[in-house]
Amino acid sequence: MPLKVGIPRALFFYYYYPLWKRFFENLGAQIVVSPPTNKSIIDAGIKCAVDEACLPVKVYYGHVTALKNKVDLMFLPRLVSLERKTYICPKFMGLPDMIRSNVKDLPTVIDTTFDLSKNSSSIYRPAREVGHFLESRDRIIDQAWDDAEEFQKEFEDRLYKGHLPCDVLDSLEKGKELPVTCNMKRMCVAVVGHAYNLYDTHISMDLIRHLKNMGVKVITPDIIPTAVSDAYANRLPKRMFWTMGKRLLGSVLHYIDEGKVDGILYVEAFGCGPDSMIEDLSARYVRRDRKIPFQVLTLDEHSGTAGVMTRLEAFVDMISWRGVS
Amino acid sequence: MAFADLGIDVGSVSTNIVLIDKNNELLDKIYIRTKGQPIQALQQGLVEIYQRNRDVEIRSVGTTGSARYLAGVIAGSDAVKNEITAHAVAALEEVPGTQTVIEIGGQDSKIIILRDNTVADFAMNTVCAAGTGSFLDQQAARLNLPIEEFGALALKAKNPVRIAGRCSVFAESDMIHKQQMGHNLADIVAGLCEALVRNYLSNVGKGKEILAPVVFQGGVAANKGMREALSKALNTDIVVPKYFDVMGAIGAALLARDAVKQRGTRTNFRGFSFCSTEFNVKSFECTSCANRCEVVELKTLAAVLARWGDRCGKWSEMPVDGLCKQAQKQTQQTG
Repeated sequence: MPLKVGIPRALFFYYYYPLWKRFFENLGAQIVVSPPTNKSIIDAGIKCAVDEACLPVKVYYGHVTALKNKVDLMFLPRLVSLERKTYICPKFMGLPDMIRSNVKDLPTVIDTTFDLSKNSSSIYRPAREVGHFLESRDRIIDQAWDDAEEFQKEFEDRLYKGHLPCDVLDSLEKGKELPVTCNMKRMCVAVVGHAYNLYDTHISMDLIRHLKNMGVKVITPDIIPTAVSDAYANRLPKRMFWTMGKRLLGSVLHYIDEGKVDGILYVEAFGCGPDSMIEDLSARYVRRDRKIPFQVLTLDEHSGTAGVMTRLEAFVDMISWRGVS
Repeated sequence: MAFADLGIDVGSVSTNIVLIDKNNELLDKIYIRTKGQPIQALQQGLVEIYQRNRDVEIRSVGTTGSARYLAGVIAGSDAVKNEITAHAVAALEEVPGTQTVIEIGGQDSKIIILRDNTVADFAMNTVCAAGTGSFLDQQAARLNLPIEEFGALALKAKNPVRIAGRCSVFAESDMIHKQQMGHNLADIVAGLCEALVRNYLSNVGKGKEILAPVVFQGGVAANKGMREALSKALNTDIVVPKYFDVMGAIGAALLARDAVKQRGTRTNFRGFSFCSTEFNVKSFECTSCANRCEVVELKTLAAVLARWGDRCGKWSEMPVDGLCKQAQKQTQQTG
């Protein structure tokens, strides 16, 4: 019987699922992913999470709860830094501790720290630490990691060809064909926000689908190669030291420079610390030349969609009124 | 027989209905409280409109407001539009050249920036409804002050007190403290208006270039104290249109007329006879999956008119009873 490794369908799942899946499977484990966010997952998350956490973190708690009795190992890595001198949100750094103190009866937790902020740090060290839960030989683990990184790269290449992560992940999980990317000339809106908010249809109130139903082509920062968004972020007067923030702000600067999108919709979770800065900076840069309509959408535990729909409709109306259909 | 366009705005606090003629002149208007019963309020309002305008033939119907879909299904709407677009269209019609629209309603507040007669930017209050009409209502009630007199009293203030406007809960406790310290009511009421305006400008109006003419509309525009506080804070004259309280409905009517013209067909209006139909709303929790969506079902005695509230479309996309379409046809013929 292979060991079952649980991966919560939340937060970094939307960025690194292919990497983790391939790595664990290479080491002979069986992957168990929690179901897409639903009401009971949210309710369970809100019940056990600390009050001040943002909605996506609360949702993460819910996914851990949904998985804990079904797996032998729970993968809750501590993501501190994924690149030199650049960091992930502090709530991610404390995630394994927060989960441990609030969720009872957890299986064995893989809470390896990933901190690549220092020059000398190597990814193989934390990768081996994770691997040792399943395999003792470092050589095998390193190979499993290299292969998984290849697989992750393939995933990212597909994104850079214009496929949204939700579609690529879906095709990966269910073996479905990727939908054809649409190049038709129609209204194009850039939806800017963290992947774990945008592609969790429960958190985002399915706003990507709603926009598509209104005849809008949706693009997101995830389909911009990191090198491009990094280059734009480097134009900032001060170095941006949040990985996610750098990505979002760099993308916004790219959209402004390119002038191809008809509108930018910034989606943030209520109470997000980094976004309180990034959203405001984005708004200031966009409004400097006033060419692209910009709108902020704040998400929280609301279950009524009326508020989101009103804003989406008004935003799309505004763009069409300006002469884009 | 005169032709007219019907505009309906069913909001959280008030339900407004207008009739406009082909020259965009307002023929009649109704402003009633929704009282948490949008269907009854809508029917009651439509009956009144009908009784006062029996010789008018409805050419198009538009709905807006937070209950725009519900109202749209019940009345048979030609255009279901969000409040931003409706308010912007109406403001441009009433005050040509408008550059800023400030709208404070019952549960939400918005700012619309217009440039060259099109919407350039807009914002609505985010997760918090502090400082909207229902809070003013609530405070007026607490002070035993009819809301109609609230504004006039604010104008009598000599030294408006400083009140925390960040959050309505804090504002209330701050007001109580000031009362207990012995400040007079006029100063407190004026202070509250200033606090709400401050909160509005730093929250909803954040980062927006507010240029004159500034149009102030929505139910709260009736409040002279709020007009004064806004004018003082922005250091500009505030234009309050004649029909400030029904601007959303006017916008809906204008949009509906265009929609019908563009479509080139007759209106979908069910006719006034539908006002006497009994509508029942039933809600249930769908148990098909873990989402447990709260599905709403709107029906008459004869048929189900519509369902909504589900995420997957199982209920909202299910064809409604054939009877319904028949009933609709009949009422269209007779009504």
